[in-house]
Amino acid sequence: MSEYKSALIIGMAGGLARITATLLTREFPNMKITGVDSRPIKEPLKNSNIRYLQFRYSRSHFEKLFRDQSFDVVLHLARMSHSDTSNNLSQRLETNITSTNRILDLSLKFGTKKIVVLSTFHVYGALSDNPVFISEESPLKASIKYPELRDVVEMDQLASSWMWKNQNHIETVILRPCNIIGPQIRNTMTQYLSSPYAPVCSDFNPMFQFIHEYDMSRAIVAAIKKLPVGIYNVAPDDVISLKEARKVLQVPNIQLPSFVLEGGVRLLSNAFWSFPRYLIDYIKFASIIDNSAFKAHAQPFEFRYRIKEALELLKLD
Amino acid sequence: MSNFISNFLDINVPKDQFDQIFDHLKQVYPDGEDPWGLNLKKTRRSIEYVWPIYKHYFKTRVFGAENVENKPYLVVSNHTGQIAIDGMLICTAFATEVFPPRILRSMVERFFTSIPYLGTWAAEGGAVLGDRQNCLNLLQRGQSILAFPEGVKGISKSTTDYYKVQRFTRGFFRMALTSGVDILPLATVGAEEIFPWVYQAKGLAKLFNLPAAPISPLYLPLPSPVDIYIGEVYKIPTDLSPESPDELIDPHVEKIRDQIQEMIRKGLENRRPFFANRYGRRE
Repeated sequence: MSEYKSALIIGMAGGLARITATLLTREFPNMKITGVDSRPIKEPLKNSNIRYLQFRYSRSHFEKLFRDQSFDVVLHLARMSHSDTSNNLSQRLETNITSTNRILDLSLKFGTKKIVVLSTFHVYGALSDNPVFISEESPLKASIKYPELRDVVEMDQLASSWMWKNQNHIETVILRPCNIIGPQIRNTMTQYLSSPYAPVCSDFNPMFQFIHEYDMSRAIVAAIKKLPVGIYNVAPDDVISLKEARKVLQVPNIQLPSFVLEGGVRLLSNAFWSFPRYLIDYIKFASIIDNSAFKAHAQPFEFRYRIKEALELLKLD
Repeated sequence: MSNFISNFLDINVPKDQFDQIFDHLKQVYPDGEDPWGLNLKKTRRSIEYVWPIYKHYFKTRVFGAENVENKPYLVVSNHTGQIAIDGMLICTAFATEVFPPRILRSMVERFFTSIPYLGTWAAEGGAVLGDRQNCLNLLQRGQSILAFPEGVKGISKSTTDYYKVQRFTRGFFRMALTSGVDILPLATVGAEEIFPWVYQAKGLAKLFNLPAAPISPLYLPLPSPVDIYIGEVYKIPTDLSPESPDELIDPHVEKIRDQIQEMIRKGLENRRPFFANRYGRRE
């Protein structure tokens, strides 16, 4: 661990990468960090150990990067969100699957010691018969009902099979966090939660897990320092129902039957409201993950923010 | 609604008693919710709705509450009454007449959780998906579970078979072995006569792919007095593992089934008079 001298963060324009980079500079004061993203990086962190590169996620760009500099640690935080309707499926397949494969192979080829891949709890799917506390060994059912989610599952499975195949050569950790929220995270769930106009289902009220962005970044750092090869769910110990979460955020719960909501999304999607159809299931049925493997290996690790505190902080933003 | 039912039945919910119960439960569920979707406020509201029906329509009595200690149990009961009213009455008994009060987590079928409103209402009242891993997680977190090992066969009986405990499945016993939680046998007497004249048309059920097809001149629940007997704890044997072969598990499952059948027999001897009693099984 102490020999980690350099790190590559892919997806550096995101809020989570930014916080993680800050934490890494504290944990590893001599670590040289390279942050790359295909998007422009706004307000770069002022730290001489961090350099920024903006380029398209192509084979040639990544090959040049790895040839020019070796990295002890690679953090792959660049999963293109399936919950953002502006990302079309072919773009997502290219970024999430082809690029991930490229990054993993280059890391192996150029002697990286540890890779952390950020997946999502969405791979388990939101189904009415989900058990509570889904473990890492559970089947990934997200794309059963909605084929549009296949890149989410395939990226995770690609990384998993690659991880086990190469476990004797490189340490790989896959993280499947619950919903990440925080002032620097602009994902669909954060927007949905805090929007006073976004309706909820009157006939369902699923339980949710939310992790504050700071805790998630600490979990990524813990993954670098402590977690052995494997897949880990990351979620705090507490849960909250969707309607209670919106109450904490002091946004009104406009309640509609789920069939009306589903019809509305079909009609209005891409016009007024960019909420993908398949995400409706995630506000109908719970997908509560088991965090025991993460807690066992990352200890001592305490989540700083309880869910209600994380939501309160979101309200302040 | 609660007021309407209370006025209709001329009975008020004992507010002080409910305050005490839910003050205690607030310590068990400090967030007011739990990962399985329980919502303490809504549970209280549901029990307040059910209470007049429990106490004054079915005149429910509980025997053997002293057998319940302050620890989790896998409560195993016979299943009666065509529409699982027994589950609602047992859960109300464990919340209001057993100390310390607890929200017994009754297991529901997979399709149930996807039913709009009803699935959420049941989950907020403490019901959980009848998935083995789900239930093990509950037991390991100190929750008590209500299981009906007869399954649908228990409630879909014709009048001639009332109070005959059907074959038990083994899953509940393997869950108890895995979790190390003791089994609490329970017998419900009186719930069969809530629907006293029933013929189960098995051919019809098969034809329409239904779990049961009860034919009856009466589809409204009658106010048959219900007795709930909580038996003595069945200790989990230490010489068995969750992976023990069926041949070693079956004698224990049979013993529990026999214990419940015997509790029913004694309960039938002591039940209160009700005109429909004569239509069911008498011994």
